[in-house]
Amino acid sequence: MRESKLNGIFFLLALFFVWELASRSEWVNPLIVPPLSKIFVSFGSLVATGDIPLQILASMKRAAVGYFLAAAVFIPLGILMGLFERCYRALEVVIELLRPVPPPVVIPVALLFFGLEDEMKIFVIFFSCAWPILLNTLDGVRNIDRLLLNTARTFGLSHVKIIWQVVLPACSPQIMTGLRVSLPITLILVVISEMVGSTDGIGYFILDSQRRFKVAQMYAGMLALAVLGYALNLLFNLAHRALLPWHWGMLRKEQG
Amino acid sequence: MNGGKTFNWLGWLVLAILLSLWEYGARASPKLQFYIPPVSQILTALGQLFASGQVAGHLLSTLSRFLEGYVIAALLAVSLGILLGHFRFAYSLLETLIEFLRPMPSVAIIPVAVLTLGIGDAMIVAVTVYASLWPILVNTIDGVRNIEPTLIDTARTFGLRGWAILWRVILPGAAPYIVTGLRISLSIALILVTTAEMIAGSRGLGFFILDQERSFDSGNMYAGIIVVAALGYGLNRLFLALEGKALGWRRGMLARESV
Repeated sequence: MRESKLNGIFFLLALFFVWELASRSEWVNPLIVPPLSKIFVSFGSLVATGDIPLQILASMKRAAVGYFLAAAVFIPLGILMGLFERCYRALEVVIELLRPVPPPVVIPVALLFFGLEDEMKIFVIFFSCAWPILLNTLDGVRNIDRLLLNTARTFGLSHVKIIWQVVLPACSPQIMTGLRVSLPITLILVVISEMVGSTDGIGYFILDSQRRFKVAQMYAGMLALAVLGYALNLLFNLAHRALLPWHWGMLRKEQG
Repeated sequence: MNGGKTFNWLGWLVLAILLSLWEYGARASPKLQFYIPPVSQILTALGQLFASGQVAGHLLSTLSRFLEGYVIAALLAVSLGILLGHFRFAYSLLETLIEFLRPMPSVAIIPVAVLTLGIGDAMIVAVTVYASLWPILVNTIDGVRNIEPTLIDTARTFGLRGWAILWRVILPGAAPYIVTGLRISLSIALILVTTAEMIAGSRGLGFFILDQERSFDSGNMYAGIIVVAALGYGLNRLFLALEGKALGWRRGMLARESV
């Protein structure tokens, strides 16, 4: 296991070396593919001057609002639809009609309503996280053992208590799945919407650097995005572990 | 999903109510009409776009870019995935690189593609290939790894070699995983094509929709969205039908197990 990890790191270093060499000796156009060292220097200075952190902060604010708004609306809706068949039937057709719309296509609609404001990105993220969160929650509620619900009823628990003490804990793993699937979607959509209509944010920063032909800066922005994606995943794992320690333990055990 | 295939009258009723509210709300308020024109107006716009042939060209470019990108990604990812799933050493070399590239949102590659390939079909196809590659690749690797070694040993015992094992044991064994990857990539490919068309395109449905928004023709914009949604829906149905044909044996097996 350790040895295979080492192989990968050596290969990556070799690749970096070839990149550096190819660019310095102009086998590839250094204007398009600058030496890697230049990209790292650019990344370092942009982080130090606070340019990249500021852009990321702007993006993350939008991403967080859209993401948590979607969670706050679609987890309860999924629970309602899972518990009450009539509620599911009522919304089924509308949902099935809206679901095939590819999320980036919503950007022009959001632009029309909100212009270049933050609300535009928030709406787009909200829309695109809706389906994974809603459908996973719905699935989770439907797969709850009916015996659990009936037992809770026999003991005379009120509707609110049943939802809070039985349904929510029982379907929390699926809710977590929906939230996990939505995480990269959020990141993708915040970048896209900033590329199409924004004056700041990391997506705008990358595209703008390309248009101004500041190529090293563009790659530095991409590097920042990769780090951000990695960090968000780590953060999500921490949250998962803190919120559902029993489920996290089960997953670990399965993976061996 | 819910067993009975009875007509969901309640769902359609809700839709009808929402649509009529939309229609009358938009008609009543001219201010609202700028943002959401009446449904009837959107449908008329849709009809006119098709009748004048205006949208057909955009639809065709989007569809051909999508198909090209998706098919290339599938071929590349499945072959690479089988290689990496089968040969541990190859995997150990590329593992770190894959882990490094995967968390980066794939759309970030668009500026690089514009820089190297300019604005045009090649750029959009390349971006689509890059983004659709990952789910198929990762799932194929998983699928090949989960094949029971006994199966391969048995095949060897019966004298199968090289290509025959690949073709008759590994590929069918990993097929369910590969199909999962292909399904995920289907929607990703459509997302990337439309996004790339919005950011740097002069044709295609993504370009068309954004262009209509910029010229404040919201009727045409919504009509374009309907066309994209229909395209996504149609591609998904086509995929499910092909999957049923290709993996029918497996569905029969699962059904028997669950009985």
